[in-house]
Amino acid sequence: MDSMEYTVQAINLSKRYRIGHAPLSLRSLLGSKKYSQVDRYHWAVKDVCFGLKPGESLGIIGPNGAGKTTILKLLSRITYPTEGEISMDGRFSALIELGAGFHPDLTGRENIFLNGTILGMRREEIQERFDRIVEFAGIGDYLDTPVKRYSSGMYARLGFSVAAHVDPEILLVDEVLAVGDMAFQKKCYDHMLKLRDKGTTLIFISHNLQAIQRVCSSCMVMYRGHKVFEGSPAEATAEYSNIIRRSAVELSHLGPVESGIAQRVMTHKGVIQDIAMLNQDGEPALTVHSGETVRVRAKIAFHETSPSPVFACLIQKPDGQFVYNYTTYWADLTTPTFEANTTAEIEFSLKINLVEGMYYLGLNLAYSDLSRYYDRIDRALDFFVVGGDGARGVADLRAQFKVL
Amino acid sequence: MIKSRANQSHAYRDFLIAWTSRIVRARYQQSILGGLWAIIQPAATVAVFTIIFTRFIPVDTGEIPYVVFSYSAMVPWLLFSASITDMVESLVMNMNLVTKIFFPREILVLAALLARVFDFAIAFSILIVLIMVYRLPVLHIGWLFLPVILAIQMALSLGLGLIGASLNVFYRDIKHMIGLGMQLWFYATPIIYPPTLVPEAWRSLYHLNPMVGVIESYRAVLLRGQLPSSSLLISAALAAGILVAGYLFFRLVEHQFADVV
Repeated sequence: MDSMEYTVQAINLSKRYRIGHAPLSLRSLLGSKKYSQVDRYHWAVKDVCFGLKPGESLGIIGPNGAGKTTILKLLSRITYPTEGEISMDGRFSALIELGAGFHPDLTGRENIFLNGTILGMRREEIQERFDRIVEFAGIGDYLDTPVKRYSSGMYARLGFSVAAHVDPEILLVDEVLAVGDMAFQKKCYDHMLKLRDKGTTLIFISHNLQAIQRVCSSCMVMYRGHKVFEGSPAEATAEYSNIIRRSAVELSHLGPVESGIAQRVMTHKGVIQDIAMLNQDGEPALTVHSGETVRVRAKIAFHETSPSPVFACLIQKPDGQFVYNYTTYWADLTTPTFEANTTAEIEFSLKINLVEGMYYLGLNLAYSDLSRYYDRIDRALDFFVVGGDGARGVADLRAQFKVL
Repeated sequence: MIKSRANQSHAYRDFLIAWTSRIVRARYQQSILGGLWAIIQPAATVAVFTIIFTRFIPVDTGEIPYVVFSYSAMVPWLLFSASITDMVESLVMNMNLVTKIFFPREILVLAALLARVFDFAIAFSILIVLIMVYRLPVLHIGWLFLPVILAIQMALSLGLGLIGASLNVFYRDIKHMIGLGMQLWFYATPIIYPPTLVPEAWRSLYHLNPMVGVIESYRAVLLRGQLPSSSLLISAALAAGILVAGYLFFRLVEHQFADVV
């Protein structure tokens, strides 16, 4: 393939950081290639390759410390690669932190100009887009108020608005939209889609897998600095939950790890061991008739005493669309306390009122205060629904037509 | 290796202007006297030295009154020392920007320098008043050299500032070293005494201090109605060398800034 077609290309992109606070020598400062043997290094990003053409959008997902933000910082030239190459063809704008260049004492109006120029816009360009920026951020009444009096939501809105109006050919967005409210997030995603449709190349990091699926045409999964998967957002999302699960299992064997290298999404003090779907005859089955009631049985090993954990079941379509999600918490059920080093079996029934197709069943086990997961499998088993009445969509609501 | 077709650097001129004015505004915000501080500081220092060197230990400054003699040097000196102090801190103080946004990093250093030129302009206007009050020659051909002298001084400051700012990212000792260095440099420059007091044997060594030629030239032009002193050539050569070295050093290490914090 002709590499000239790419607007963004990374070849064997690698970035190494020094761990700890080893004293810097003047020689290392001046770029000597001989690395000291005493220093310990950590590859934040290792041998990552990708290429994007105009109008393509790439999502990057992965646990904290997987190297996602480092990739954005490398692309936006905030930091430089240790090895490998980056080529960027066109004007870029990066949102690593919303409103990073804001000065708290200056007003919203002054900050629009200050932040806009930091992002590389000319004064007249900002002037010309000023009304659009203000309108998008929705801060009209507070334009002449110092931004230190803004709510965090307003601050984030203004930050996104300025950066999004740079009219970049390449837009890099880190996990920055989490602060805003739902309506604003939707507005941001819509804006990103609009830019993408106009030919802007987009790279988007998020923990919000639904947002990734909405905005991105492809997605890669990062884990410990490596690209471990690249494919459609739906596939990547499924792969991601498997990776998270595997890494949690690994971590529970490895014991505590160095901070920042991997995130303990799951404590793994309780592990979902076995999941089976049983049909009406009590036989394990992965093919279910539409409308049938099945039972799902799971075996869970508790390594530590777990007071009233919350069980959740979820069903997704392969494209990532949520079909169903229900938890013992919503059902107002209080589960008992499970003692350390015991195994428990749980069971729940599901009435499969779904149209024909393939579905993923997932099971989560969360702390009673919902702060963390003991274990979480978003794709525990795949099942097929057959024998529907020809309905399309997701839910089979069994419409009975009648002429009255 | 990073390749980028679009050269975005021309777009950052407006950032330089915006950032410079931000520094100036922030400096005098919530202060009653505001820009007057740019005058009070040199004036107070000069007042003390005037008392010491006219009453206690009289210093011969020829026909020039000591007040104008020292004020004419104090104003450019304060631009020099204050701008270097600010430049050295400019990167470390704005690390949140350096680690979050891409822009040419030298803009932060350059803005710190330019923001001090604003103070210099205020203090300099008082110098003009003093010159007229004491009926010294004004607006002669030598004044055409004032921008040249200022440019040489700023080139020297910027070169040192670029080196100091980037070193300060890695070693915070630099900040303290600069404070001490500026204090010593002050006495190695003819600000509160005339260079004629320097022993003959030390003169050539003394003129290797690039600020000697700069200060002597300001005085020659502003107080004596002459052209800049020939020692300005030494200053110009040193300033150019230091600026080039400073810029090259900055380019060499700037890619590590965001990683060090």
